Amino acid sequence: MSMKWKRLGENVWFLSPSIVLTAALGVYPLIWMLRYMFYDYAGYGEPLFIGLDNFQRLMRDGQFWESVGQTFVYAGGKLVLTLPVSLLLAVFLNGKLRGAGLLRGIYFVPTIISTAVISVVFYTIFNAYNGMVNTVLMKLHLIGQPIDWLGPKYAMLTVILVAVWGAVGNYMLLFLAGLQGIPQDLYESASIDGASASRRLWSITLPMLAPVAQLVIMLAIIASLKGYESIMLITEGGPIGKTEVMYLYLYKLLFPVSTGSPVEQQLGYGSAVGFATAVIVGAITGLYFLLSRKMNKMY
Amino acid sequence: MQKKWVGLSLALVLALVIAGCSGNSGTNGTSNTGTGNGGDTNNAATNTGNNNATPDTPAGEPVQLKYWTDDRHDQEYIKELVDEFNATNEDNIQVELTVMSENYTQSVDIAFSSNQAPDVLRLKSGNTPDFFKKGYLAPIDAYMTDALNEKFGNLLLDGVNRFGGKVYSLPNTGLTLRLVYNKDLFAKAGIESPPASLQEMVDDAKAITEMGKSKGIYGFALNYKSPKSAFDRSVREILSLSGHQGLGFDLKTGQFDFAPYGQIIEYFKQMYEDGSFLPGAESLDIDPLRAQFAAGKIGMYLSFSTEPGVYTDQFPTDINWGGALAPSLDGEIKGTSEIVSAGTWLGISAQSANPEAAFKFMQYMYGDEILTTYHEKGFGIAIVPSIVEQAGDPDIAGMEGFLVGEHDSLWPVSPTVTPEGPGYADAYFKYMIEGGDVGAIAEDLNTRYNAALASAIEKGEVSVTPMPDFDPANPQGE
Amino acid sequence: MNKLTKVAGRTIMWAFLLLTAVLTLFPILMTLTGSLKTGAEMMTGGTLWPSKLQFANYAEAWKQANFARYTWNSAFVSVMVTIGTLLVAAMAAYVVDRRTFPGKSLYVMVQASMMFISVGAIVLRPQFEMMVALHLNTTLWGVILILISAHSSTFFMLLGFFKAIPRELDEAAMVDGSGFARTFFRIILPLLAPGLGVAGLFAFRHAWNEYILPLVFTMTNPQLQTLTVGLANLRYGASAAMQIHLMMAGACLSILPMLIVYMVANKSFIQVTAGSVKG
Repeated sequence: MSMKWKRLGENVWFLSPSIVLTAALGVYPLIWMLRYMFYDYAGYGEPLFIGLDNFQRLMRDGQFWESVGQTFVYAGGKLVLTLPVSLLLAVFLNGKLRGAGLLRGIYFVPTIISTAVISVVFYTIFNAYNGMVNTVLMKLHLIGQPIDWLGPKYAMLTVILVAVWGAVGNYMLLFLAGLQGIPQDLYESASIDGASASRRLWSITLPMLAPVAQLVIMLAIIASLKGYESIMLITEGGPIGKTEVMYLYLYKLLFPVSTGSPVEQQLGYGSAVGFATAVIVGAITGLYFLLSRKMNKMY
Repeated sequence: MQKKWVGLSLALVLALVIAGCSGNSGTNGTSNTGTGNGGDTNNAATNTGNNNATPDTPAGEPVQLKYWTDDRHDQEYIKELVDEFNATNEDNIQVELTVMSENYTQSVDIAFSSNQAPDVLRLKSGNTPDFFKKGYLAPIDAYMTDALNEKFGNLLLDGVNRFGGKVYSLPNTGLTLRLVYNKDLFAKAGIESPPASLQEMVDDAKAITEMGKSKGIYGFALNYKSPKSAFDRSVREILSLSGHQGLGFDLKTGQFDFAPYGQIIEYFKQMYEDGSFLPGAESLDIDPLRAQFAAGKIGMYLSFSTEPGVYTDQFPTDINWGGALAPSLDGEIKGTSEIVSAGTWLGISAQSANPEAAFKFMQYMYGDEILTTYHEKGFGIAIVPSIVEQAGDPDIAGMEGFLVGEHDSLWPVSPTVTPEGPGYADAYFKYMIEGGDVGAIAEDLNTRYNAALASAIEKGEVSVTPMPDFDPANPQGE
Repeated sequence: MNKLTKVAGRTIMWAFLLLTAVLTLFPILMTLTGSLKTGAEMMTGGTLWPSKLQFANYAEAWKQANFARYTWNSAFVSVMVTIGTLLVAAMAAYVVDRRTFPGKSLYVMVQASMMFISVGAIVLRPQFEMMVALHLNTTLWGVILILISAHSSTFFMLLGFFKAIPRELDEAAMVDGSGFARTFFRIILPLLAPGLGVAGLFAFRHAWNEYILPLVFTMTNPQLQTLTVGLANLRYGASAAMQIHLMMAGACLSILPMLIVYMVANKSFIQVTAGSVKG
């Protein structure tokens, strides 16, 4: 009996730091949000209970739904560029290549640099009037006129490129780890059978990589839906809201950026938006999960 | 199964215990910062009483005051003043100056919600009503001497520095707004004088762009990364000169009416379509804009009377530039150019433990010599009559164009509200770039702003008195 | 023919690899050259290389733009977060892996959902309120605790590593009379070193690069700003005018420590990722 209590005590003391921290700073904020999404609360004075008003407002909030659409464009664009590039890099580097270590190091460097820091750099080098990107492109005679990278037409493309730049190295490494788990003898027997390189890629590498890839893609989807830090520093969601993603929209409800005059913090409505974003991300993740399970069965 | 429930309740208990703690502290926080709705003065009084219970600093231990500002253009001078005050005051007061950046109002909000509020705050007419509403400010009536009353008495205005009959701040300087233009580029493009009407501005911007585009020179720019900041330094002035309140408020009816705003935007839109804007203006911050202007790449823009100081200290430039009265809608001046941010300068926090000491510092800052020097150094344009009399003109290159003239005056305050959906600046910036139905935009803005206004009035957060006899050519009604 | 396609394939492959490398290095190169230009050169733009190398920018960034202070803050936060996260997650993972107890599956489920539920910046407000209640909002400990509280990915990563350590080791130690905690700290933890190394690197990287949390928490205390926050604020010209050349120098300074950590631990990084994918 006392042995049982002793074991329980040990469990409690080993788990309590984790439980206390998670409950206080992970779970409690969620409960807080679930409560305040039914209130009108600007951060001072008494919160006012307003029932479902915040959700009604959410339904007619064009800015929010636009930002949801842009989140999909942003995340989709990032995934479409990041995943193939990082997979290709991983496949190439997995072979016995001279200089692979150096190249891998180079590709990995962006992932150790703070998004905030490099975004500030990107803001200056993508400038239309004196940015280095235009300078270089013009010196190479690839363009005749400066391109307005941060203007309404190209701003989304620019922030996607920045996101891809920061992510490729990470996913390359994840794919590389997956590739190294594929037994070498599969390739050897395929070579003996005379299979070409592209054939080996399609019939051995990709199928064998599928389980790892599924996990990696899941991580990539969540990460790309969540990202807004670099957009916040490069365009602040502008121009005319063209790069506003939903988490940035939420952030601005809570901490209006770059405005001289005060704007009310909208904590109640922000909670409702926070809840909605979680539901959207959850739904997409769940959908992907179901789809990938279906795909598994098809094999 | 039972085990699961035990675990669940454990987690719940933990969460609730924690929720309980912070919930309590939350209410403490709010009662500290006042319950809003005009009950602030009482609250402020009890609050200072509470804080004084912690023994007033014994001799030898200096009284520490925190002073926050978001002014950057005058920070060197203010630092000097604070140092001098710290060295010379006889009450053993030490002031610590913190210069904030664009996050100023958010920082103030956070500070007041977490009991680390500064004792002395820089107040601007844009944020004072909001700070008052949230119960951040302590009234200073009790400290006002006869001399102070005489100096500032007729400059105390309801809704600016006086709320609910109590005074919260005193004026120092205001800012004029002007068209800032590169004289060399105007001459090269064969333009004789700065534009008087918006149509001329459009034409001039086009002419300069045609002349200089190959060298990367463009006619016009504004810091559109924050459309509100861009329009509040340009459209606002053009409107008030043309006879309309500059932030979309109609003083005669006491309602928002954005129709005149849209008329101005049409010309901005024209410049945008002409390609007269500096490329990349859509994502430009104000400092990069100034850097490009200093490098001679921009024909003109509109901004505050802080610009001369900026081009003296921060972006030294060889170009020949000047400030001129903003253009008006049709070239006819029907109103006056609004002197902005004029009624307030410093205020005292309702959470300050040492309001008397804070006021001593405030009194020092509002001394004749400092106010005079402040004007003469060009940090702002003095509006206190006794200072205007004794102060000389600022000796800074370019300041001539920004001095108060016959077309400048103070305007009555307009209410600040937070509407649902996009603000006027975002809406009109979008129209400028993408087009749309300008009438419908004004309608939509009117509906949403007036709804927000009605709800704010209902909550008692703002009060509005229509002025049917308001005369934009003589906004002070003298 | 076959040889020709092979050569063509290799050419395409190398072109792809090199182009990607160039694009990857371009912004970093721009930061480096930018950090050595004068402010005026940066502003007017148009030149690739600095006309004269301005190494003084670094000294100026370090002293005048307060980077010494920011670096110290960043280092303090990152080290504390790394230690805290590893300790909290390792202790929990050990119990979860070795023992059964009521609520275990609930605990694991909560940790897992912490990784997937994302409600954005809204959590900052309750977290901030809690830190105010604990009087930790005026120090960096608030930021540190919040970063440690997000330890679920580390937890799962370490769980994978624990599974690789045979249980017989614990049992043998217990038989020798070593207590539970003693066994953990003296015997198991040292065996976990490779896993702790990788997880620690991730935690360190995350803390070092974090921006929004310290931004919000240090708004009222500029002297607590971390490198990322201080650097990004330079674009407002908090000290004087916007000084891009100093910002670039600061960016290089902020990249340097991570670059060193990475070069030292190059091998482990690869292993970690391998471990995290399999785990």
